[in-house]
Amino acid sequence: MQDVILTPSDFVALLNQTLEFAYPAVSIEGELSNFRISKNRWVYFDLKDEQASVPFFGTVYMLPGPLQDGLMVRAVGSPRLHARFGFTLNLQSLVPVGEGALKKAAELLRAKLTAEGLFAPERKRFLPPIPERVGLVTAANSAAYADFVKILNERWSGVEVLLSDVYVQGDQAPGQIVEAIEMLNRLSNLPEVIVITRGGGSAEDLAAFNDERVVRAVAASRVPTLVAVGHEVDFSLAELAADVRASTPSNAAQLLVPDRAAELAHLDAKRQTLKRDLASAYDGAVMELVNRRDALVSQITNVLNAQSQQLQSLRRLIKLFDPQAALKRGYAIIRKGSKIVSSVDQVKIGDHLNLQVQDGTISAKALTKSPKLRAESSRL
Amino acid sequence: MAKKPTGNKTYAQLSAELNEIMEWFEGEEVDLDEALAKYQQAAKLIEQMEKQLKTAANKIKKLNA
Repeated sequence: MQDVILTPSDFVALLNQTLEFAYPAVSIEGELSNFRISKNRWVYFDLKDEQASVPFFGTVYMLPGPLQDGLMVRAVGSPRLHARFGFTLNLQSLVPVGEGALKKAAELLRAKLTAEGLFAPERKRFLPPIPERVGLVTAANSAAYADFVKILNERWSGVEVLLSDVYVQGDQAPGQIVEAIEMLNRLSNLPEVIVITRGGGSAEDLAAFNDERVVRAVAASRVPTLVAVGHEVDFSLAELAADVRASTPSNAAQLLVPDRAAELAHLDAKRQTLKRDLASAYDGAVMELVNRRDALVSQITNVLNAQSQQLQSLRRLIKLFDPQAALKRGYAIIRKGSKIVSSVDQVKIGDHLNLQVQDGTISAKALTKSPKLRAESSRL
Repeated sequence: MAKKPTGNKTYAQLSAELNEIMEWFEGEEVDLDEALAKYQQAAKLIEQMEKQLKTAANKIKKLNA
């Protein structure tokens, strides 16, 4: 090899070819140091132990969230010799390792996202009361999936579940979960809610649910989200970002749909209410008829009373004109034959006259007649 | 699509229709003829909803098979 003369560029190319063949990617676990982000995009750090330190270079999109020096992390990268800057590992993925580091990383991310308002209560949306199309992001072969479907089937019917089968732990989990959430949000016929769930596990198993990319995808979902990670003590950040959190996959199914038996009982109660409503509508109609009849009867009674009073006064008036009443007071009716005599001119001397008084008639003969003088009659 | 065994209406749609009728009964002026028609309509809706609850199944569709 030493017989072949290389230019520096040739040597860099040759070495990179060799490195790519021998170590396409390596996983290195170590303590994070000299961590810095440049222009909000480029990431530089070293991984070190007591004896050695190796430099990494990558972009912020590969990070699980905010990090700081001293954290134990596992980074996957490809070793390269850069033409100007020397040896480095090109970062492919990075995760905190060990409970302490995971907790610290989650704390850093929580503080950052809280400051952004990602977990604010006012961002929370309600889930539809009776969903018909549900996106489900979980591992299809998991107990979490089986539990969720079991409770869903026990409780409710007619739901279409759009299952996106993803890894829920490991290096690939964050990317797959994010892709699944985004894909469900791109469907032309959107689901009404997206359920993201997995069972319990160690802090490392649950790390994907504290990954910044996953937490942001949950918060950014147009479709309301229900996140359930099977552990009660600590909330994962994805749960904090979700519209609704459930404690376990079974609990997610419980919160998602109503209970069939309760709904049937509810329907029966509604049926009884409707029966009462109809009966009261009937009673109302009957009452209205009774009221109308009473009003009619009262109107007719008023008319009859008015007529009766009118009749009474006519009766009193007629009594005043009764001739019998005059006879009682001493007046008499004089008849010649059948004609009533009201003038001296109707009578000749010697005519027979009948005088009707109160209690009978008197026969009389006209002996004299003396017409009343005009002056007298006018004076009278 | 979710299973719709009764006509083209989903459970949520039937439920919304039923609630509308129940609200109508809460109104001030309830005409008896209309009440009878609405009652019959509601009884039919409840029957359809019960049928859906008892007979429909959940469907699972894997998107990234």
